[in-house]
Amino acid sequence: MPETIEIQLKKGVLTLCVLALLHRSDSYAYEIASQLAKDIDMGEGTIYPLMRRLQADGLVDTYLVESQSGPPRKYYRLTEAGRASFISQKSEWMVFTKAVDAILGAKA
Amino acid sequence: MTRADFIVRLKAGLAGMPANQISDIVADYDTHFADAIAAGRTEAEVAEALGEPGRLARELKAEDGLKRWEEQKNPSAALAAVFAVLGLGAIDILVLLPILMGVVGALFGFFMAAIGIFIGGGFVFAAGPFMGPPGGPLTAVLAGIGLMAAATAIAAVTTIVTIGLVNLLVWYGRLHYRLLKPAIEPQG
Repeated sequence: MPETIEIQLKKGVLTLCVLALLHRSDSYAYEIASQLAKDIDMGEGTIYPLMRRLQADGLVDTYLVESQSGPPRKYYRLTEAGRASFISQKSEWMVFTKAVDAILGAKA
Repeated sequence: MTRADFIVRLKAGLAGMPANQISDIVADYDTHFADAIAAGRTEAEVAEALGEPGRLARELKAEDGLKRWEEQKNPSAALAAVFAVLGLGAIDILVLLPILMGVVGALFGFFMAAIGIFIGGGFVFAAGPFMGPPGGPLTAVLAGIGLMAAATAIAAVTTIVTIGLVNLLVWYGRLHYRLLKPAIEPQG
């Protein structure tokens, strides 16, 4: 089932991307969702279950920021565990993509 | 689909989860609509981009059930996890049901056998020595202990097999999520 493999790939990468965005700066769900929908063609609805899971796993936590328009906004930030997880996942990703690139680039 | 329709269908799909979690989830999606509309998009566009609310709700609920099973390995969590996977529609229930009934029946049989042998062993252990068994009272005591030990072993193996089967089902269910946790990762 190629469809399933693609979904599995994106699901795996999505976590890494969210951690990377939050590593750069704290953010709120709509911002993360629209960024990822634009860049890696991920369904916007996906972000909310993912954020809940990351929170349940203790990789992110939330805080509220007052906004001028409407109710306070919920921001996400990485926890220490989240930072550690990002760093290890990022280096795994680098090793993996380097190996895949080498195979793809190899002359037959 | 309008914003109100989306929220209503999401709520309906989440029914059964704790109320504070439902309101958390609903608030997240409601904020998403508010942000998107502020960015100049229409309700219909946003609903389309978010995906089918029923499916989102099923996966959110399933993950909740599976998480519970990972945290506490008890029969009610196992049952919740099995139903969560079935709720995803990942497995055709008509195909699975006869197999599931057979497997559950067999496991139940093993547990009952273990309990029966344990009680029998206890009886031989306690009453055997006074009934003039062949080989003397000590033989009866040892045989009783042996039977109880065997029963405990059967129960332990059956428990391990049951936990393994539920874990397998959970893994299979996750493979069929469109969102959330990748199934291809080391099993906890």
